[in-house]
Amino acid sequence: MRILSVICKSLKEQLRSYWVLLLSLSMGPFFIFVYFLIMETSELKYTLMIVNNDKGLLADGYTINYGDSLISFFNSIKNDTIAFPLIVHQSDDSIAALGAVKNKKADALIVINDSFSQTLQRKKTDDTVAVSGVEFIGDLTSTGYLVSAVWANEIVNEYALLVTNSKRIIGVKETALGTSATAGGFDMIVPGILIVSLIMLMFTSSIAFVSEVENKTIMRLKLSKLTAVEFLSGISFVQLLVGIASVLLTLLTAILLGFNYSGSLTIMIIIAGMTSFSIISFSLIIAAVVKSANEVLVVGNFPMFLFMFFTGAAFPLHSDPLFSIAGYPINILGLMTPTHAISALNKTLIMDMDFQSIIPEVISILVLTIIYFLIGGIIFKRHHLKLS
Amino acid sequence: MIKIEGLKKRFGELTAVDDLNFDISRNEIFGLLGPNGAGKTTTISMICGLLSPSEGQIIFEEYDGKDRKSLIGYCPQENIYYPRLTCIEQLLFIGHLYGLSSKYVRSRAEEILDLLGLKGKSSVLASNLSGGMKRRLNICLAIIHDPEILILDEPEAGLDPQSRIMVRDFIKAFASKKTIVLTTHNMDEADRMADRVAIIDHGKLLMLNTPQKLKNTVGEGDILELVLENSNETAINQFSGMVSSLSMNVKIRSGSVLIKYPNILENLPAIKNMAEKAGLTVSEIKLRENTLEDVFIHLTGRNLRQ
Repeated sequence: MRILSVICKSLKEQLRSYWVLLLSLSMGPFFIFVYFLIMETSELKYTLMIVNNDKGLLADGYTINYGDSLISFFNSIKNDTIAFPLIVHQSDDSIAALGAVKNKKADALIVINDSFSQTLQRKKTDDTVAVSGVEFIGDLTSTGYLVSAVWANEIVNEYALLVTNSKRIIGVKETALGTSATAGGFDMIVPGILIVSLIMLMFTSSIAFVSEVENKTIMRLKLSKLTAVEFLSGISFVQLLVGIASVLLTLLTAILLGFNYSGSLTIMIIIAGMTSFSIISFSLIIAAVVKSANEVLVVGNFPMFLFMFFTGAAFPLHSDPLFSIAGYPINILGLMTPTHAISALNKTLIMDMDFQSIIPEVISILVLTIIYFLIGGIIFKRHHLKLS
Repeated sequence: MIKIEGLKKRFGELTAVDDLNFDISRNEIFGLLGPNGAGKTTTISMICGLLSPSEGQIIFEEYDGKDRKSLIGYCPQENIYYPRLTCIEQLLFIGHLYGLSSKYVRSRAEEILDLLGLKGKSSVLASNLSGGMKRRLNICLAIIHDPEILILDEPEAGLDPQSRIMVRDFIKAFASKKTIVLTTHNMDEADRMADRVAIIDHGKLLMLNTPQKLKNTVGEGDILELVLENSNETAINQFSGMVSSLSMNVKIRSGSVLIKYPNILENLPAIKNMAEKAGLTVSEIKLRENTLEDVFIHLTGRNLRQ
């Protein structure tokens, strides 16, 4: 009964503090929108320059130029499953094309030599002839060159096999996990932003806890029969609702903007709920050491910064593991629950993995949440609820 | 009855309350009088249970084993309320925290809002109330659970005259059935409201009695000014000698005589007789009764509002 009263009262107060609520709920969708715009305007493409020096050959009264055919082959590539990342430009001026690579206006240059057609023609009848009519030029330290060269090499070989009617010695099959084959940069960032929307809960939660101290109404609670657990649980429940509303709004915005997910929505909500509670528990630590909403806005910035930029929420992050528990690597960033939540959401929404696969993440979130809640609860009780 | 025995509270080096011993009877209005920093709020915070005593104890007798939280309603000096809840919402909330049923707490809330003139404001957000209304809401929040003991910290502080009368009437009505402990540094408030007054300063109990007895027995007493028609010096000296023989403090001014003595009204007929015997004609009698402030100044040697 008492906990229900705290929930009702906290819910009314939260709805009436609509500016704070609006700020918290809109942050996730706002970030989604910003990232969508960034990804749309900066889609990952590599520019490939091709200079065709192939002189071609005469066969049955016709001129054949396999170099031109290769360029047409490049332009005809339309991969059904994986977005084709190359933009191909043909150039007649090899010096200008080389300048473009040097000036980083292109990632790689392919020069087709003058005997390319003749070599391929001979290969048709004599399998021992080595085809070496293409030169790759580029900055070998550049990732752009490496990706372009790998793709271009594969296409050149594919073309050579096709023209010479040869067969691959080894057939390679590529299997994409979940939606990773079709997932773009935007899809990859969404799980992190879903967690960002929950990190913002740090402010509403801390303010909800500390407002009782700031308004001194905590004294009325101390005089009443309300227990610390009832008080903290009641406020936490309302903040949990805010968290789930926030993550659903963020997900809805992402879906409307084309987010392609494959996993279970139920598992996603479970992870979001657990992460919300974890952030609320962490907020309790903030509320325990401050006395006003203004102080929350100042002090809260530091953990928010850590949670956003050092957990992989805002952008992917890598950290070497300190140790492993049952094969699950634990690193320093793992002291923050969003790290595990993002890993779990990536596994679920992108890799389409089941609940069994995210048990290590779930356990990590649970353990950290308990630790946060205990620390926050003890300090909050000692600072604000204790009868001195 | 509330028995306070050897109560002490120390905050580091500072002893805020120093060995207080007194009883508060049921159904009385008990005033704790003292200047700012005298230890009043610390004392009532210990009675409420918000502070634990460093030494001594507070015993609640004859309250049928009720727990302290149910027994006591506390209205602090500062208005403490939920700004984003309406009057009725916060009363229901606090009522529920005391474990009262929804039906009971709603009827109780409506009753006390009516009692304190806030019925028309029950659906108004507390932040939108005037200062006087907030003060009255503060009292409502203290009595929502129908406590046996109501502790009011400076109940009339900052109130407009209308609200002051309303609060005063409420306190008197409440005290007919319950115990009220009020702290104040307002002497008039204590004089008017309290059945008994404890004067404390520097955490120590200086005097405890009814306001009338304090005024009658402590200090230089009432001041009686006799304005004389004739100012015969011999007659005045004779009269002064007669009054002084009754241990009264006499001061002669041009055309009048000032006499200081506790409860001087009882001695007024005798004083008039003495004046007639001395051959003096009194044209006007002015009386300024001894106040609790005079009592306090006598006890502490300084002004209350310093």
